[in-house]
Amino acid sequence: MRQWLRGSLLVLCTLVATVGQAEEADSVVLIANPSVQRTTLSLEMVRAIFAMRQRTLPSGQAIHVFVLPDDAALHEAFAKRVLGVFPHQLRLAWDRAVFSGTGQAPNQVADGAAMLRAVASTPGSIGYLNPSSLSSQVQVLDID
Amino acid sequence: MNTLQVHGFLSQALIVSDHNDFFGPSSEGGGSWEYTELGLNASFRPFDNVLVAGQVLARQAGDIQRLDEVELDYGVIDYQFFNDVETTAGVQLGRFKNPLGLYNQTRDIPITRPSILLPQSIYFDRTRQPALAADGATGYVERLLDDGVLRLQLGAGKPRMDEQSEISAFGRDDLGHYAGDSSFIGQLRYEQSGGRLIYALTYADVNAGLNANADGPGDGNFSFQPWILSFQYNREAWSFTTEYAIRRVRSSGFDDRYNYDFTGESWYVQLTRRLDDDWQWLLRYDSLTTDRSDPSGHDYASRTGLPAFTRYAKDWTVGLQWQPLSRLLVAAELHNVEGTGWLPYQDSSELRTQEKYWNMLLFQLSYSF
Repeated sequence: MRQWLRGSLLVLCTLVATVGQAEEADSVVLIANPSVQRTTLSLEMVRAIFAMRQRTLPSGQAIHVFVLPDDAALHEAFAKRVLGVFPHQLRLAWDRAVFSGTGQAPNQVADGAAMLRAVASTPGSIGYLNPSSLSSQVQVLDID
Repeated sequence: MNTLQVHGFLSQALIVSDHNDFFGPSSEGGGSWEYTELGLNASFRPFDNVLVAGQVLARQAGDIQRLDEVELDYGVIDYQFFNDVETTAGVQLGRFKNPLGLYNQTRDIPITRPSILLPQSIYFDRTRQPALAADGATGYVERLLDDGVLRLQLGAGKPRMDEQSEISAFGRDDLGHYAGDSSFIGQLRYEQSGGRLIYALTYADVNAGLNANADGPGDGNFSFQPWILSFQYNREAWSFTTEYAIRRVRSSGFDDRYNYDFTGESWYVQLTRRLDDDWQWLLRYDSLTTDRSDPSGHDYASRTGLPAFTRYAKDWTVGLQWQPLSRLLVAAELHNVEGTGWLPYQDSSELRTQEKYWNMLLFQLSYSF
């Protein structure tokens, strides 16, 4: 009986840990290169930046947008939970910008590690990351 | 950072109809392969707030346009000269795409369309060329609100005319030299909650002039003034779209035969449903009335002897899109149409041989990068 209890407890702990990790896995924050002076952006400005309609920050600094592939879980989490739009809407907005001469496509990187490298090394860059992948080379921006 | 980007697309369609030809001999034998689109664009940002972008386009659309007639689709310098916490303003100089309704700016790019053919009552292929782009300047102001974006765009320039738009205006293309005059466009657009709800109001005043040949109908002007109301509601798995247009079409200064003034009406309702990331279907009803004061075309028929059904079109469309790879699109759609009001033609004699009821099946393969 004690053996069984201990076993159940172990399973339960593993389950809790797994669920915790699952939540952790698609939690996402907006990040920027340390050269970006503004630390809080409005939701609408973040939407305009990621829809590739706004090319500079109010300070005049050029923005460079970095994203993960459309089917990356973190991209979907960022689009839906942070921007409140669906990944296919973002893709359509980029295609419309690119093929009408009104904007460019964002820079796509393969994974979180590449995202961290790109945003850390590109002045004026903006992207997103899982909080567990953060380093001091990038700053986290607040959205109000 | 190097900001140069190069993108492009290509598409090929097969069109099969039971009666009436659309983009080539679609009603004969194995159908028509004469609908091909190729585009290549490049853009870069030489300064922080300046974008330079251009696209060349080659397009085969039956006899309307040939693949070897490569054209500059757009070529702009976009200068975003004002930007604060709530407002962005900019100007585009050059050949800019007209923001006419929801789809016009990227009407030739399959991946941005919900169907192979856009609703023809508003996005006529007959008058594609002048609707597409203008040579001039356009300014835009975008204002960020609490949970939405308000965008105003105003443009002035000269539209480009071609044989098909001349035929559309006068029924033939051999009357003289036909060219665009000063024209204007304005669009007010509101997008709520990141584009969940989109509302737009467009107005345009498109003008052209004809310098007639000696034996022609005299010099005169053509004008086209559409108002378009647009609405779209987007959910994760489906979108509902509707647009309504009222279009005044006028030609003046000619012999009586070529002068006219009437107002047309167009509208469609469209539902698209995403089945998963790769599959989407569409259902649409699209209605065109060439002249609101004569919706059945009977007055026109008794005046000209041409069939009444050439003055309207009612089109039911069902479509399917499949994206086996992220940039590869396979599409099929079926149109069941009454009337030929938007069907392109080369010579008005074709109007006598058109059929009132017709069906059209289209397949299209496209790739973009």
